Amino acid sequence: MSGVKLTWKDDLAAALLAGLAMVVLVATVGDLGYARDEGFYFHAADSYRRWFELLLANPRAAFEPKAIDGAWRVNSEHPGLIKSLFALSNLFLQKKWHLFAMEGTSYRFPGIFLAGAGVALVYRWGAEARGRSAGIFAAIALFCMPNFFYHAHLACFDVPVVTMFLLATYCFWKAMREGGSRWPIAAGLTFGLALDTKHNAWFLPILAVTFVALCLVRDRLTGGNMKETARRALAALGAMAVLGPLVMYALWPWIWRDTFARLSAYASFHLNHEYYNMEFLGRTYWTPPMPRLYAPLMTAATVPTVTLALFALGLGVRARTRIQAFLRARAGKITRREGGETDLLWLMAIGISYGAWVLPKTPIFGGTKHWMQAYPFIALFAGAGVSWLVSVLRVELRKLKATNVRKFARGPAAAMALFPVLLAAPVAETAGSHPWGLSNYVPLVGGAKGAATLGLNRTFWGYTTGAVVDYLNREVPRGGAVYIHDTAWPSWDMLQKDGRLRKDIRGVGAVHEADFALYHHEQHMQGQEYQAWVAYGTVQPAHVAGLHGTPVIWIYRRKGR
Amino acid sequence: MKWPRGPRSGLRVAFGALRPGPLALGAFVALGIAELAGFFVSSRRKPDFADWAALAGPMAEERKQGELVVVAPSWGEPLARQALGDEVFPLRDVARPDVSRYRTALLISAFGESSPELSGFREIGRREVGPFVIRRLENPSPAAVVFDFVDGLGPAQASVRTTNPEVSCPWNPNARVIAGGLGGHPTFPAARFECPGGPFFSVGPTVIAADEAFRPRRCLFSHPPARGEVVTRFEGVPLGSVIRGHGGMYWIIERERKGAPVALAVRVDGEEIGRWEHHDGDGWAAFEMPLGTHAGKKSATVEFFVSSKNHAHRHFCFEADTR
Repeated sequence: MSGVKLTWKDDLAAALLAGLAMVVLVATVGDLGYARDEGFYFHAADSYRRWFELLLANPRAAFEPKAIDGAWRVNSEHPGLIKSLFALSNLFLQKKWHLFAMEGTSYRFPGIFLAGAGVALVYRWGAEARGRSAGIFAAIALFCMPNFFYHAHLACFDVPVVTMFLLATYCFWKAMREGGSRWPIAAGLTFGLALDTKHNAWFLPILAVTFVALCLVRDRLTGGNMKETARRALAALGAMAVLGPLVMYALWPWIWRDTFARLSAYASFHLNHEYYNMEFLGRTYWTPPMPRLYAPLMTAATVPTVTLALFALGLGVRARTRIQAFLRARAGKITRREGGETDLLWLMAIGISYGAWVLPKTPIFGGTKHWMQAYPFIALFAGAGVSWLVSVLRVELRKLKATNVRKFARGPAAAMALFPVLLAAPVAETAGSHPWGLSNYVPLVGGAKGAATLGLNRTFWGYTTGAVVDYLNREVPRGGAVYIHDTAWPSWDMLQKDGRLRKDIRGVGAVHEADFALYHHEQHMQGQEYQAWVAYGTVQPAHVAGLHGTPVIWIYRRKGR
Repeated sequence: MKWPRGPRSGLRVAFGALRPGPLALGAFVALGIAELAGFFVSSRRKPDFADWAALAGPMAEERKQGELVVVAPSWGEPLARQALGDEVFPLRDVARPDVSRYRTALLISAFGESSPELSGFREIGRREVGPFVIRRLENPSPAAVVFDFVDGLGPAQASVRTTNPEVSCPWNPNARVIAGGLGGHPTFPAARFECPGGPFFSVGPTVIAADEAFRPRRCLFSHPPARGEVVTRFEGVPLGSVIRGHGGMYWIIERERKGAPVALAVRVDGEEIGRWEHHDGDGWAAFEMPLGTHAGKKSATVEFFVSSKNHAHRHFCFEADTR
C-alpha cells in the first residue's frame, strides 16, 4: 500500500479524471436552479467584471481608489479571488467567446474547473502516497459524494475552498517530505490562494504548526532527524507566513486601502456570524447550543456508507501500520520514517475541518458544506482501505490453483474487479440525487423519505426553483406574477437570462401580489406556506416536486387563475 | 478450479475464510452490494408522487362529512392535499387547534407510520389502498363543541372595538389581502374587522406557525393596540360548560423571548370569567375557563379582551370555542 513515483501517465490520468468530472458537471449544470448565495455572487461578480473591463480599457482610471472601492465593496465580507474568476469567466468565456449555452454556466465554470482540479489532485496525492488504486478510487469516491457533487456545480466558494485547502496542504506535505525551495514557495502561494478563497483557510496555519510540532515529538521519540524536520518546517511555515498574506493582498483589491480595518471587518463578520435556522431531527436550531451530533450524523446520513466504511478501514489499516512502525523504530530496529507524516496530516486535516462544527457555539446554518474540506481526506483514507482490500484479493487469488484465475493477481485486474462493487452505490446515489443534491440522504437513514421522517433538513437556499420552471413556463399566464419565496432575486433573474424561465413571468416578494406562490420546504419557513393558504383560499398545491417521492418544493395557485 | 475434498480440507477453507483479510473483503463486497440494493429500495419505495392520486376514489367512499383526515408521515400531507383537494382537507381541519373535537379521523398511513396526535384514538376500521393503509380511528371522548368563535367571526354575530380610544372597528368583506412575505407577518385575510392604526390592527381569521413544530393553527389575528384593549364581541352565543381555546403567535417571533406577555380576558354577559396570559416561548398554549352560572345558556354575549403592556411585535392570534 505504498505510493508510487508519479510519471506522465499519472499526469494524464489526473487530467482525464478532471476532464471527465468537468464534462459531467457541465452536462448536468443546466438542470440545477440557482442557490441563494449564487445570486449574491452573481451580483458581486458583475461589479468586479465592470472593474476588470475598466482595467482593460483604462488602467489608470481602474486604479483610482474610488473605482476600486466602488467595485469591490460589493460582498466584501468574502475575499475576492473566486468571484474574480466568476467575473473573468463571464467576461471572456461568455461575453466575448460565447462558449456556454446559458449565461449562468459562465459564472459557475470556475467552480466546476476547481472541482475537476480537486478530483485530479486527490488522484495524484492518493497515488503518490498510497498507490494508483488508492488514488483513482479516492478521486472517484470524492466526486461521488452527492453533496460534493451538488456543490461542485455552483458559483460559490465551498468546493473551491475544498480544492484550495487540499492544494495548500499537498504543497505543505511536499515541502515537509522533500525539502528544497520549490515546494515551500508553492505552499506559500497556494496558502495565499486559499486565504483569498474562503475563511476556512484560517485553519491551515493551525494544521501546519500542530503537524510540525507532532513531527518533532515523533522524531524525538524515534530518534528521527529533528534538525532536518525543523529546517523543512521553517521553510514551509515561513513561506506560508510571508507569501500567503501577500498573495491574498495582491488578489483582493478591496484590501488595498484601509487594509487592517477592512480585514478586521471581514474577520469580524465570520467570527460573529449570525445564526440561521437548520432543522435537525425534527427541531429547528437557530441559536446556540448547537447539537454536537450534527456534523457526525449529517456526514453519516449524506456520504455513501461504503465510502465511510472504507475510510474507517483505511484509517484502521494505516493506524496498525504506523503503530507497528513506531514500535519498531522505538526498538531501534528501523530508522525509516516515511508514511507516518502522511497519515497524520490527512487525519489532522479531517479533525481540524470538523473541529469547529462539534463546538456548541458554532452556527450550523449551511449544512454539510462547512466541513466539506475534510471529504478529500476521507476519500484518501478510503482509497488506502481499498488499496489494502486489493492486496488481500491478490493474495487470495494467488492461493488459487486455477492458473487462469491466479493470473488476475497481477496487474490492475483485482482493482478493476473490486471498484465496480465498491463504487456502484456512490455512483447510483450521486446520479440519483441530481438536481436535488441537498435533499439526498443515503439508504442508511432510509434515503430522502427516511430523512424526511427523521426530520432532517430537506433543502435550503431556494435553488429548487430550477426544478419547477417547466411548470411555471406552462401554467403562468403571460405577464403573470409568481411569489419567489426563498429564491434570491439575482438567481431568479439568471433563470430568465438563461432562457430557462419565460422573461414575461414577474417575480414578486409577497404572496398576495402573485397568482402563483412557490414554497421551498424548510421547517421554519412553513409560515410562508400558510400565508399562501389564506391569501389564495386553498390548501391544495397545484404542483409538487421533489426527490424520490419526497416533496421539496410546491406551488400554490390562486383559485380561479 | 478444484475444490478441496474431505472434512479436513473443508475445515481449512472454513478457518481460512475467517482470517481478517478475506473476511473484510467479503464484508466490503457485501456492503457495496447491500448499499446499492438499499439505494434502489429506498429511492423506489412506494408511495411515489403519482401513487397519491389513487387515494381519491377510496377516500371519497370512506370519508364521512366532517371527518378529520390526517396523514402519516406528516411530510406526505402536501401530496395528499394535492391529490384530494380542499374538500377532504378544509383549512379549518388542516390548521386545527387540536383533535379533541373530532369524533373520528381517517389516517392515511404510509410505511406503517402513525400520528402521535391520534395516539389516544382507537382503530375501528382499515382499508389498504396500494402502498397506503386508510385507518378509521375513533376518539374515545370527543368534545361537543357548541360554538366556535373563529367560525363565528363576521358582522352577523360579531363586532370589534378598541377601548383607548373607544373606537369601533368596521367590518370589511373586501379588504386588501396582505401577506408578510419571507420572515413577515401572517396573511391578513380579505374579510376582517379593521381597527385604526393599519392592517396589523385588524381582527380576522388567519393561519400561523405557532410553535416549535411550526404546525399550522387557524386563529383570530388580534394584535393588541398601543393602549387599552382590542375587544372582539360575539352576541347570541350558545354556551357549553367552558370556554376553551389556544393562543400564540408566529414562533419565529416568540422564540426570541423578548416580547411582553399578552393578556386575554374573557367576559360573558359582562362578567369576567377568566384571564390568561401568553408568555413568549409558551407556543400554542391552551386555556380553559369554566362558565360557572353561565353554563348552558342558550344565548349570551361573549367578549375577548386582548392587551399587552408593550404591543411591539405582538402578533397575537387566538382561537376559542365553548363546549
